[in-house]
Amino acid sequence: MLKINNLKAKVEEKSILNGFTLNINPGEVHAIMGPNGSGKSTLSNILSGKKGYDVSGEILFENSDLFSLETEERAHKGIFLAFQYPLEIPGVNTSVFLKTSLNAIRKARGEKELDALEFLKLVKQKSKDLKFDEEKLNRQLNVGFSGGEKKKNEILQMSILNPKLSILDETDSGLDIDALKIVANGVNSLRRKNNAFLIITHYQRLLDYIKPDHVHVLMNGKIIKSGGPELALELEKKGYESFS
Amino acid sequence: MEEQLKNDFEKSFKNSNFSSKSISLKKEFLNKFIKDGLPNKSLENWKFSDINQIIKKEIGDLSFYNDISTPNKIDSAIYLNGLEQNSIVFINGRAEKIDFQFEEKNKIEILDDFELNNNYSEINSLIDLNSAFVEKSFKILIKENYSLKKPLVIYHYTNKKIKSKNINLRLNFILEKNSSLKLIDVLNDISEKNFINTFYSFKLNQDAILKNYKIDNKNNNNIKYSFTNIEHEKNSLSETFIVSSGSNFNKNEINCNLNGKYASAFINGIFSLNKKKHHEIRTSVNHLTELTKSYQLIKSVLENEARAVYQGKIYVNSEAQKTDGYQLSKAVLLDETTEFNAKPELEIYADDVKCSHGSASGSLNENSIFYLMSRGLNYKEAKELLIKGFLLDVVEKITDSEIKNLIKNIVGLKE
Amino acid sequence: MKIDSSQISREKEIEKLKKYKYGFSTEIENIKAPKGLSEEVIKFISNMKKEPQWLLDWRLKAYNRLKALKEPDWQKPKYPKIDYQDLYYYSAPKSFKEKPKSLDDLDPKLLETYKKLGIPLQEQKRLNNIAVDAVFDSVSVATTFKDKLTEKGIIFCSISEAIQKHPELVKKYLGSVIPLTDHFFATLNSAVFTDGSFVYVPPGVRCPMELSTYFRINASDTGQFERTLIIADKGSYVSYLEGCTAPMRDENQLHAANVELVALDDAEIKYSTVQNWYPGDKDGKGGIYNFVTKRGLCKGKNSKISWTQVETGSAITWKYPSCILKGDNSIGEFYSIAITNNHQKADTGTKMIHIGKNTRSKIISKGISAGFSDMTYRGLVDIAAKANNSRNYTQCDSLLMGNKCGAHTVPYIKNKNSESNLAHEATTSKISEEQLHYCQQRGLNSEEAVGLIVNGFCKEVLQQLPMEFAVEAQKLVGISLEGSVG
Repeated sequence: MLKINNLKAKVEEKSILNGFTLNINPGEVHAIMGPNGSGKSTLSNILSGKKGYDVSGEILFENSDLFSLETEERAHKGIFLAFQYPLEIPGVNTSVFLKTSLNAIRKARGEKELDALEFLKLVKQKSKDLKFDEEKLNRQLNVGFSGGEKKKNEILQMSILNPKLSILDETDSGLDIDALKIVANGVNSLRRKNNAFLIITHYQRLLDYIKPDHVHVLMNGKIIKSGGPELALELEKKGYESFS
Repeated sequence: MEEQLKNDFEKSFKNSNFSSKSISLKKEFLNKFIKDGLPNKSLENWKFSDINQIIKKEIGDLSFYNDISTPNKIDSAIYLNGLEQNSIVFINGRAEKIDFQFEEKNKIEILDDFELNNNYSEINSLIDLNSAFVEKSFKILIKENYSLKKPLVIYHYTNKKIKSKNINLRLNFILEKNSSLKLIDVLNDISEKNFINTFYSFKLNQDAILKNYKIDNKNNNNIKYSFTNIEHEKNSLSETFIVSSGSNFNKNEINCNLNGKYASAFINGIFSLNKKKHHEIRTSVNHLTELTKSYQLIKSVLENEARAVYQGKIYVNSEAQKTDGYQLSKAVLLDETTEFNAKPELEIYADDVKCSHGSASGSLNENSIFYLMSRGLNYKEAKELLIKGFLLDVVEKITDSEIKNLIKNIVGLKE
Repeated sequence: MKIDSSQISREKEIEKLKKYKYGFSTEIENIKAPKGLSEEVIKFISNMKKEPQWLLDWRLKAYNRLKALKEPDWQKPKYPKIDYQDLYYYSAPKSFKEKPKSLDDLDPKLLETYKKLGIPLQEQKRLNNIAVDAVFDSVSVATTFKDKLTEKGIIFCSISEAIQKHPELVKKYLGSVIPLTDHFFATLNSAVFTDGSFVYVPPGVRCPMELSTYFRINASDTGQFERTLIIADKGSYVSYLEGCTAPMRDENQLHAANVELVALDDAEIKYSTVQNWYPGDKDGKGGIYNFVTKRGLCKGKNSKISWTQVETGSAITWKYPSCILKGDNSIGEFYSIAITNNHQKADTGTKMIHIGKNTRSKIISKGISAGFSDMTYRGLVDIAAKANNSRNYTQCDSLLMGNKCGAHTVPYIKNKNSESNLAHEATTSKISEEQLHYCQQRGLNSEEAVGLIVNGFCKEVLQQLPMEFAVEAQKLVGISLEGSVG
């Protein structure tokens, strides 16, 4: 599904990713773990199409070149990024945003856009599944939301947009244990044979609740070790130091 | 007025040391002033304070000739107590004393030189009046890396010998790289019905720091106008604090040009006015390059037919990305004879900036008064306490603790 | 390494969209007054409209006063000198020489024009429940829903008709809010105004539907000088909508309307405008000069006037819908969205003059500038010495897109009353790259993302618009900014 081959990225002459390679197949959950400054957020930014990086290498998503696609075109193809710091957009109602977003994607895929009633039904169901407070849907997008509420809102958006590849960028940071469980349950309930997850995290904690198929250690801009779930436990025990 | 101006000009400069070139330049300024006259309310910047009318009403005919041949005795009572200080004393516009006793002599240069130029002529006709009639223009240069050990206090004193006179003062400060100066202006008048027109210019080179405290708190019947221009180079900082209270009329204009990255300008002030006084502060902060910062806070307490005006402008040109500009004015009107006018203005041509301004005016919060009274204070005490707190908020912005305490004492805000 | 094909196709798309949606003109034969401004032209207009002598005298008084007035020059946008002798002051479709009795008598081409504009002129569009008075060039062409309004005693007609049928009302209130001598453009309008709308709502009546006027300038070299007068008698309520379009023409066309509102005791007037005159092309050529005087008088106690405006069109917009709060406890409100793009210029805001006791005013202004445009909020809040216990709250937010445009805030605040409170807040900001990226990651393209964020920014004002207009206005906000993000 996603093939990253020898990806290099620089910002203002500073190298951040140095030959990053990764393959993700449908149905898989990959976790990328790394210390601060290892290039984790750069990776999610580049995958989502954020500007400002000088990049080389190759990223193929379902065999098409990701670099030739705009951010929104990547979203249309089914790439979803749960932001580490979800943005506040004053004056924009959360459910209006969700509906606009969903219909933009459906339209790009040649699907019928949902009318207000259909959308309402969908969003109500998903909110209930995720224990997301419905009242928040009528508030301004992320404005005045707590850190945990913002992250839950990201997961709600993910479940409504139903992406093929979901990238979770440090979604666990700043979450208390209850919120963490809600987020993890959300992810687990969305796991299918034809979709995949890339979980970027600093700590092993989230992986207690979401079982990854593959764990990769990212340091200094490249993967230095890959393995199964046991690698995360080893990391937690020994720390990143022992891998460097 | 034209004839008076021409005659007084002749009288002032017939035996002067000025070169003929300087005299002819001064004449140009005189003619320009004659053409434009005193500023009046038809000019946008003088909309709220028609100085032409005010001078006409409060003074009548002005005389522009000022005899500075004889020295005045300095009454030691004018000095600020309890502050080790360097000082410059002006009496009736004549420089009587220049004393930098606490400083290293070779670090400060005082030049009695005249640099007349047209740079400021566009601002208003009072600058032309100043250029035409000023007798001496001091240039004070602080050398590289030197910080004055003690503040410099400039005493602007007038006594009963003068009346219906126009006095023009001009000082020009150059702060070389990484130097610093604390300057206190103390206005003190026994005289009546004079018009005092002061022009300061500061050039702050890289990393230089200027702190200027302008204190007008002694009751007097004079009309004052002061223009201060501050040029900021990279990483320089200016802090201006204005106590606007004593004179019958006083307008302070501060113009800051932030020319270098990381330069910042702070302008804070209080109006505490009663008895028909009419004061104005007009600021204009020009962000001319990226990453510059400005902050302004002005508070007013008005009673008894007093009138305060605050016109503050933040200008951001298209290069000045990442500008941080803030401006707030608040006024308390203690009775219905008072008036507060504000024109807080933003003119912005760059998109990546953070600029905001606010203005609020009104009465003291009756609920707060009630709260204090429920704790045993009487109405008057409660009111005074609230006013004190309101003004203290600005005084607390003064970064020099010794001067902060001095000013608290002067304006009666000592806790 | 970025592939640019998508970029190219998008640019083409933008080019297409940029073309002004309402840019067509209609081939209809016009009767025009001779070019230029003179006593004869004014007499011609008055005569064409079969006006009574008092009105002609009033016009001529304005004309004489005009000779002594200068065009104001304090506003920020400067414009090339207008040759007032090179304009037509009256232009009417020929078929109106004898005013049509009903819609069936209208020139079909005219009906077609309004259909293109989406104006529900035909009565079968009753569902919209909006009564429309349409002004084409200088004359009012038709008013809908008359019967339903007449039942309630509401008068809604063209001002020309009101002058004939209700002279006592017109005579009493015309010029009572904007004096004949007010300023250059208002006085010019008084001398040469051609048509406009008139509304009178009798005591205690709540107008059952939105009243609406649609203005369109069609003939070239025509100034449009309409005059609107709305009177809400004691305890009544009316909501009025105004929409404007003009065809694309290279030369600038002048629009100098006067709008007067009078609210008596306990009455409320809500006046909404969506202004979408032709803004000129992307190089700043052509477009309408929109120099409009709008003023409301809260004459009676407990009265309320609320202005809402969405200003996206015109080459130069220059207007300050104002409220004079004369009655005790009266309320004035001003909600504004102004958007400038390309080379457009706007200097707009309001005046809130507090005269009565316990008066309240609220100003919410949202300015957005993009391209090479320039936007100024200019406002005055004046609390008179006797306006005890009055309140004002002002909030002005500006959004800049790019560093070739300007946003300015120039509030004048005067307080002479110690029992009154004024608060003013203003901010200037931009749309952050991060916000854009977030929206794009959720599948919106950059235009849609900007539209969404800007609509959020404007929400407080959009909420004030009647439902039917709000949707249109939201779209307009998006359209106006197209091509402004790279």
